[in-house]
Amino acid sequence: MMSKLSKPTLWFLGSSVAIYVVLQILVSTGLLNSFWDTIIRIGAVMAIVSIGLNLIYGFNGQFSLGQWGFYAIGAYAAADVTYRWTVNKSADGLVILFLATALSGASILWLHQRIAKVRGIDPLSAFTIYLTSTIAWSALAFWVGITATPAVTALLNMLPAAIALQIVFIVAVLFSAILAAEISYLFGLPILSLGSDYFGIATLGFTVIVKILLDNSDTLLGFVEMKGARGMIGIPKITTLFWVFFFLMVVIVLVRNLLRSSYGRAIISVREDEIAAKAMGIDVAEYKIVAFVLGSFLAGLAGGLYAHINGFLHPNTFNFIKSFDPMIIIVFGGLGSITGTIFASFAWALVLEGILRIFLPQGFETWRFVVYPLLLLVIMLLRPKGIFGDYEIPFLRQVLPKPRHPEKEKIEAEKIAEVQP
Amino acid sequence: MTANTQLSVSGPLLKVEGLSKNFGGLRAVNNMELELNPGDLAGLIGPNGAGKTTVFNLITGVYVPTSGKITFNGQEINGLAPHVINQMGIARTFQNIRLFPNLTVLENVCIAYHSHAGYSMQDAILRSRKFEAKEKELLEKAQDFLSIFRLEDRQGEIARNLPYGEQRRLEIARALAANPKLLCLDEPAAGMNPAESVALMDLIHFIRDRFSLTILLIEHQMRVVMGVCEKITVMDFGEKIAYGEPREIQSNPRVVEAYLGRGAAELAEKFRRSKAQ
Repeated sequence: MMSKLSKPTLWFLGSSVAIYVVLQILVSTGLLNSFWDTIIRIGAVMAIVSIGLNLIYGFNGQFSLGQWGFYAIGAYAAADVTYRWTVNKSADGLVILFLATALSGASILWLHQRIAKVRGIDPLSAFTIYLTSTIAWSALAFWVGITATPAVTALLNMLPAAIALQIVFIVAVLFSAILAAEISYLFGLPILSLGSDYFGIATLGFTVIVKILLDNSDTLLGFVEMKGARGMIGIPKITTLFWVFFFLMVVIVLVRNLLRSSYGRAIISVREDEIAAKAMGIDVAEYKIVAFVLGSFLAGLAGGLYAHINGFLHPNTFNFIKSFDPMIIIVFGGLGSITGTIFASFAWALVLEGILRIFLPQGFETWRFVVYPLLLLVIMLLRPKGIFGDYEIPFLRQVLPKPRHPEKEKIEAEKIAEVQP
Repeated sequence: MTANTQLSVSGPLLKVEGLSKNFGGLRAVNNMELELNPGDLAGLIGPNGAGKTTVFNLITGVYVPTSGKITFNGQEINGLAPHVINQMGIARTFQNIRLFPNLTVLENVCIAYHSHAGYSMQDAILRSRKFEAKEKELLEKAQDFLSIFRLEDRQGEIARNLPYGEQRRLEIARALAANPKLLCLDEPAAGMNPAESVALMDLIHFIRDRFSLTILLIEHQMRVVMGVCEKITVMDFGEKIAYGEPREIQSNPRVVEAYLGRGAAELAEKFRRSKAQ
């Protein structure tokens, strides 16, 4: 495989690693202070959320405002697991999250393959079946998890503390993302059949629900350590520059692999023309849910990473007003352009939190929320299709094969055959 | 390109019996009958609003019939989802062209080929060896289709930038890429000039023979219908009013009445009689 890497791939991998190395050196030597370091990490996290939303809106055409809700779920779930490990010295969160998401995920996949074959089952009945099964498996996971916790805790304690923490962190981030994906599946099933505008409103409702639940997480949900509207503190700050770059790279490569395949084209065809897609044998409902679940998975992943940057989470971060941020980023960068999304994410973080904060005079920092929309307005007027439009760097493009002329060749071959009997 | 000649059952490829569709109080299709044998090139004509496109939408699963039965290749297909019907072997084009406008010509054809892609989503995400091989094969087959329709040099162009005639051709190429047994063409000659229509007729004959297809087409241009179809079904007010060869249809008084009104039909009848005397 390694020998076959094409030139654009090498360029992409090479330049990404180079950028990372340069940034890492600048941060390690102190040339970039921790303020800029944080902004870069937040930019990368935003890039992951926005790529997820671009998958849902830019490529699949489903206007979703629920991305921020899944981001919140990922953030709080991952934070809770690492908090329980570092503060309570117990792996219970880790074990239960792992078991619950793995078991209910497997049951959803198993049911999905069976239910899809049933003719004429309505979405709500299907939803009920999925929900019942998820609740049952989660209850089982909770019970098994409680019993297995001491053993896992002892096992992890045998490892050096730093390594054990990293393992807990990675597992927590990945499985929080899977948790967000599973919730998005259950949520998307009944509402994805709605038209685009109604879908947008329903997903906005989802973000509001998540925010309200997080406001009352200590009372309604029973997670005392999340401290409800006072904000969760004491989360280990372990999302390093390396981890955000690593995850961003993996996400870019995998999303590109998906999009530049027959499955990606199927996802895009739903955006282009649903009726035509159906008439061409594309299972539109299936690809809507695929894009929605994958997009939400990325939101959850980014949430988990975000939670461990500042070590502090507050429900106001997940306010529905903020849910427009990834939407702004993808429209600004160019709908259906991954290059644009990545660029706009970093630009968003650097301009809003970095450059404007520095260049505006003392005491006028709040004005950045006036300057920033104006800036957006000007750019959207100048480039209505986003900064990058549908431009992609060569690595992310669909590679078209050379044109072939089999018919012409055949005719020419026949001509030659006629001439030479 | 494998020709789809093996049929699971002998007898008609498509059989529509007692098909009706109500939209609220409006009965768009009423007790419609239609039968297509393998290899047929049949036409479906009728005045505007006769319910021709509704019949197409019922056959391809866009609408669910109110009553009646549609049998395709020995299997009952009413109530199935459109994508399932497409995968069973019925492909269609649309009256108002429905390409994937922002995708390239080649991608348009590739999408129709999706259900035959032959690799899983995991293969795609992880770029397995199977993906590389099957994707190459898929792209080559799509290029073959473009080549048949003389669109191979346009493969990288955005579909909506193509001229009208080429968009029509691309839509037919895309429908064929789904490897159908039955191809439904909804007004393929709409908006074409006479020369283009003639070229289209040749093309329809050619693809029927090349892919061993059965073709059902709706058309308003009588030149095309009479020139290309072997059997014609005429609809009016949602019902079948005539069926037969083009020559029979042209002289059928009910058809003349449906198109030109009762007075004209009587006049035509008188004219025919006086000519016969």
